[in-house]
Amino acid sequence: MGKRFITGMAVVFALLLCVQPVMAADTIKIGLMAPLTGAWASEGQDMKQIVDLLAEELNAKGGLLGKKVEIISEDDGGDPKTAALAAQRLSNSGVVAVIGTYGSSVTEASQAIYDEAKIMQIANGSTAIRLSEKGLKNFLRTCPRDDEQGNVAAKTVVGMGFKNIAILHDNTSYAKGLADEAKGLLEKQPVKIVFYDALTPGERDYNTILTKIKAAKPDVVLFTGYYPEAGLLLRQKMEMGWNVPFIGGDATNNPDLVKIAGAKAAEGYYFLSPPVPQDLDTKAAKDFMSAFKKKYNAEPGSVWAVLAGDGFNAVAAAIKGSGSTETAKMVAYLKTQLKDLPGLTGNISFDDKGDRVGDLYRVYRVDASGKFVLQP
Amino acid sequence: MEFFFQQLTNGLAVGGIYALIALGYTMVYGVLKLINFAHGDLFMIGAYLGLTLLTALGLADYLSPFCVIALLAVMVLILVAILGVVLERVAYRPLRQAHRLSAVVSALGASIFFQNIVMLIYGAKFQVYPHDLMPRTVVHIFGMPVPLIRILILLASVVMMVALYTFIQRTKVGTAIRAAAIDQGAARLMGINVDRVIALVFVIGPALGGAAGLMVGIYYGQINFTMGWIYGLKAFTAAILGGIGNIPGAMVGGLMLGLIEAFAAAYLSVAWKDAFAFCVLILILIVRPTGLLGERVAEKV
Repeated sequence: MGKRFITGMAVVFALLLCVQPVMAADTIKIGLMAPLTGAWASEGQDMKQIVDLLAEELNAKGGLLGKKVEIISEDDGGDPKTAALAAQRLSNSGVVAVIGTYGSSVTEASQAIYDEAKIMQIANGSTAIRLSEKGLKNFLRTCPRDDEQGNVAAKTVVGMGFKNIAILHDNTSYAKGLADEAKGLLEKQPVKIVFYDALTPGERDYNTILTKIKAAKPDVVLFTGYYPEAGLLLRQKMEMGWNVPFIGGDATNNPDLVKIAGAKAAEGYYFLSPPVPQDLDTKAAKDFMSAFKKKYNAEPGSVWAVLAGDGFNAVAAAIKGSGSTETAKMVAYLKTQLKDLPGLTGNISFDDKGDRVGDLYRVYRVDASGKFVLQP
Repeated sequence: MEFFFQQLTNGLAVGGIYALIALGYTMVYGVLKLINFAHGDLFMIGAYLGLTLLTALGLADYLSPFCVIALLAVMVLILVAILGVVLERVAYRPLRQAHRLSAVVSALGASIFFQNIVMLIYGAKFQVYPHDLMPRTVVHIFGMPVPLIRILILLASVVMMVALYTFIQRTKVGTAIRAAAIDQGAARLMGINVDRVIALVFVIGPALGGAAGLMVGIYYGQINFTMGWIYGLKAFTAAILGGIGNIPGAMVGGLMLGLIEAFAAAYLSVAWKDAFAFCVLILILIVRPTGLLGERVAEKV
């Protein structure tokens, strides 16, 4: 009787010991750190909706490595201090990777915590250059870096066949950084920079500057500032009777641009911006759009929330491709083997630093009715 | 050469508006020795009132563009003038006997008040005048294309300035204003109602500022609630450049500042045009501390 009892207990304990790890490995946990409250709550809510939807779809198709995927969301409040706590909670909850977050400073507060816990992090809206320059092995992001736009701007200008280029910024750190980046890259190309200077934002009369740029005889003007000045420049350019093409950065992606310039002056204006899935006609983007509309009866918000969905797609691809949930293997797979994963915002690949490479920025053109049309 | 003339007209167009706003600063300073920091915001309110009246009354539907603008100008002038008088009654008159700094602080407070009330009423976004208000005619001067509206704006500014100058120099009321500017106590002894003169100054100055706001709205199209700050600063500089308290000085200072900016941008660097304009201001003040046309005022002993 005593022996039997002990044997029985031993069997039970053995079973319990076996069951425990089996239970834990029953699902693959993926963390989502998002600003569900606070100033960026609309972004965070969108991020959660999109990632939840994608996880649901993936589970319906059988999940990953024969297991279901479970999303564990934590709120970072759009605030570095809250984010540090959220990162600690996620680190202790057995997640294999974390998606998020939106603001650069918020992401920065969580980077070291995930790095110490050896958890892969894929940020979705943090564009500050320094985040991927710290040598953190397990950090990646699906959004472009601030310097990527300069690269695309230079390529676009050259690709459109312009030879004499004028660059105009407004001395803000964003616009000047973009202008400097584009200038540095263009100087290596067989084109001439005929004008490089800054206007003062907040003024009304830019005729002096336009007259000066006109005298330099450029084929195209690259303006890296914001939409209020872009609108005035377009309008005053038309009044001067000068029809040089203008190309702007993503800070001019605002419908008020057309209101200020007037549809006639804005027609033909080009600007760079990451595309929203509404504008993409890839299968991945179309499928996602119809699924999102079906589930939430609305259109997804900004491109940054959609990039969290691409973060989820990257994690899923890493687990599937490397056949493992070990951080080192997943990261190595994403950085070296993954090529052109069809995502919601175009193809996804990563470089050595974990930055997204490839053609994220698209060229938009304003048409005669003032609509922003994605260029092929 | 064409480049030079283009920049000349650019500078004159901007300078004309600076000059109109500078007149408001200089008149108030001349009489009260007070820098009316809320003046730039009265200019901004002129632009907003013009837009509101234009869209609310739907004048553009059944009147020709020039009638619309003339009618708008009259209404905006009157409304901004009323606002100026109220401003003087509420914010400045109670402090007339107080230390001069108190009135300056009151002026800054009024400026913040105006900006925020416009933001609360109209919102923080940019407002836009209708695009087809003015026919976009271009005239050729010496074979050079110049938009007609620019010439009209410059003409309107000059007409208003000359009218004001004649009014101050040739009429009895103008003489009263000049007398109050020189010595309020003595003017009172001569039977001049100084309070009334000051109220009149606060009718004329803000009205001219409001007119400038309307012109900026019609010409540039885009207005927002912070626009008074940058124009106010430039006009204030123009008033000092020409000699604050002096009416022809404000006109000369405004036009000069516009030209300096345009030519600094044209022949030096666009980004440095403001720095260059202020350097010129400092140089002029070193040589002539009272400004270009400012009179030397002997210290009373």
